Amino acid sequence: MQTLASVDPAHAGVLSDELGIALYEHMVLVRAVDERLVALQRDGVIASHASAIGEEAAIVGAAAAMRDEDWIFPSSREFAAALWRGMPLVAYAHHVFGTARDPGRGRNAPDPPFWKAARVVSVSPLVGTQIPHAVGVAWAASMKKVDVASLVYFGEGATSSNDFHTGLNFAGVTKAPVVALCRNNGWATSTPASKQTASAGFAVKAVAYGLRGVRVDGTDVVAVLGAVRDARARAASGLGGTLIEAVMLRNETEPRVDPVLRTRQHLEGRGLWDAARQERLSREVHADVERAIAEAAATEKPARASIFDDVYAELPWHLREERD
Amino acid sequence: MTQMNMVQAINDALRHEMRRDDRVVVLGEDVGKVGGVFRVTAGLWDEFGDDRVIDTPLSEGGIVGTAIGMALYGLLPVPEIQFSDFIYPAYDQIVSELAKLRWRSGGEYPAKMVLRTPVGGGIRGGLYHSQSPESLFIHVAGLKVVCPSNPHDAKGLLLASIRDPDPVLFFEPKRIYRASKGEVPEGDYTVPLGKAAVVRAGTDVTVLAWGAMLYEAIAAADEAKKQGVDCEIVDLRTLWPVDIETIVASVKKTGRVVVVHEAPKTCGFGAELIALVNEKAFLHLEAPPARVCGFDTPFPYTLEMDYLPLAHRILPAVVATARY
Repeated sequence: MQTLASVDPAHAGVLSDELGIALYEHMVLVRAVDERLVALQRDGVIASHASAIGEEAAIVGAAAAMRDEDWIFPSSREFAAALWRGMPLVAYAHHVFGTARDPGRGRNAPDPPFWKAARVVSVSPLVGTQIPHAVGVAWAASMKKVDVASLVYFGEGATSSNDFHTGLNFAGVTKAPVVALCRNNGWATSTPASKQTASAGFAVKAVAYGLRGVRVDGTDVVAVLGAVRDARARAASGLGGTLIEAVMLRNETEPRVDPVLRTRQHLEGRGLWDAARQERLSREVHADVERAIAEAAATEKPARASIFDDVYAELPWHLREERD
Repeated sequence: MTQMNMVQAINDALRHEMRRDDRVVVLGEDVGKVGGVFRVTAGLWDEFGDDRVIDTPLSEGGIVGTAIGMALYGLLPVPEIQFSDFIYPAYDQIVSELAKLRWRSGGEYPAKMVLRTPVGGGIRGGLYHSQSPESLFIHVAGLKVVCPSNPHDAKGLLLASIRDPDPVLFFEPKRIYRASKGEVPEGDYTVPLGKAAVVRAGTDVTVLAWGAMLYEAIAAADEAKKQGVDCEIVDLRTLWPVDIETIVASVKKTGRVVVVHEAPKTCGFGAELIALVNEKAFLHLEAPPARVCGFDTPFPYTLEMDYLPLAHRILPAVVATARY
């Protein structure tokens, strides 16, 4: 990966020392989690993992820009947002291993997780379907005159889906306070962005829905933080939603810019980080990840009868017959 | 008690529940000032205003998708899909999202709504305004499916559906929207979900029907009576979870069963009903179970009365089953 010297100095005022360090430490953690889960998936220990390597700045920066009372709708790659919001690492490990202590009770293949206590919502891995849900939450909050917004993540491939179009169209018409964050890494699995759209990038699509469209360097955590905060404030003032295109191009599979390293260099430039802190953090993160994985790997699987729970609020006769 | 037709009874139920529970919102295409194409929501916009009776963009997927978000936030949406023939663009949202949210989130993110939609033929609506897609939803775990046959049940079932914790597909048989009239209690009452009604007791053959076809079954039973065949007619009211106890008790008494529905025969709900009867009352059967259904063709405009399983088609099936 290529590295840039630092985040854009013009944005530096957006980021306090304390938040800068917190964001960086979280990015280091999720990078370590990601690399470990990719390895576990390759070894066949877990069935799948939707990696976000190279996209940490966009995911964590956007989550950090929202307020606690706001709702977050991930797509498949935003486990880092759930962890930022307070989902314990071990709870995520239980999800990935599908244990009896998985909040989703082992029903979904790994990713994305949800965390109800912090309004990180359960979404399916189907592409784009969560976009109208995020609009609906924001719309409902605005109807109730409550200052709550929603953030919805998706990759650029999702802009080809029905639900992207209808969701953002509803957002425009209703002025729902929603921030739609499109991670454009140039590739949807194997399909390049040029085969998703003929438009000049993805942010311009906002125009047709009466939304504001913004393009931001998705490897610059400060820029993402600033853009999402700005969109959040604009939505709260009744001006409606924003489609943010966070650009972080890959060369096929390899990110061109490492946002984690870039953030570290930014902190070092501000005198907030050094090699000793890095070594301590690496040690702590490694221990935390291994502890969480070990606990999840040793936890029992859900009981057979749990398949039948939660289909309905109460077990109907036909499911009782199948269960018993 | 007041004389009402189905449209008035459903309108009365919506108005009653919107006054009682400010979480309830109605949304859909043209449901506001004009009151919907069948005028079921007439007058609600005048009383409850733009934030609770909402004209939406013309997108069923967007209606259901944003309603899911509203439900997650804590509202209780009652979307109208203008014709059940138009529900397919929302099928992904209903099947993949609405029906599965409670289960996939371990019970933490249920999304509750009642989807109202006119169903069935007999109004010269042609291919795209006459379909009966109920079995497509009965097949999906997590949904409840209701179809009233008269104004009293329509109000009581709709109130029960709104208060039920699970998502409900509420099919309104449009052929009898105005043709079916009857006494409807003022104020609050419910008709419980999952309870069929034996609308006519008899000894020779059980006829299972619902919605508009109930009246065809009754007309056929009147004719059969003249030929010495005494029909017991069961109005299912809730299609899923179906009232298996009432069905089995009736079939054990008569030893014979005929199912009537408008939807195509193959994999229609009649197939499941007869399979259940075979599983639970096989040794009581004295004749092969019979189905009188729509044909396995698209729904025709000019020849709709030939397509529908009207009394003249039900009668020979009932008599043949009784005399087998």
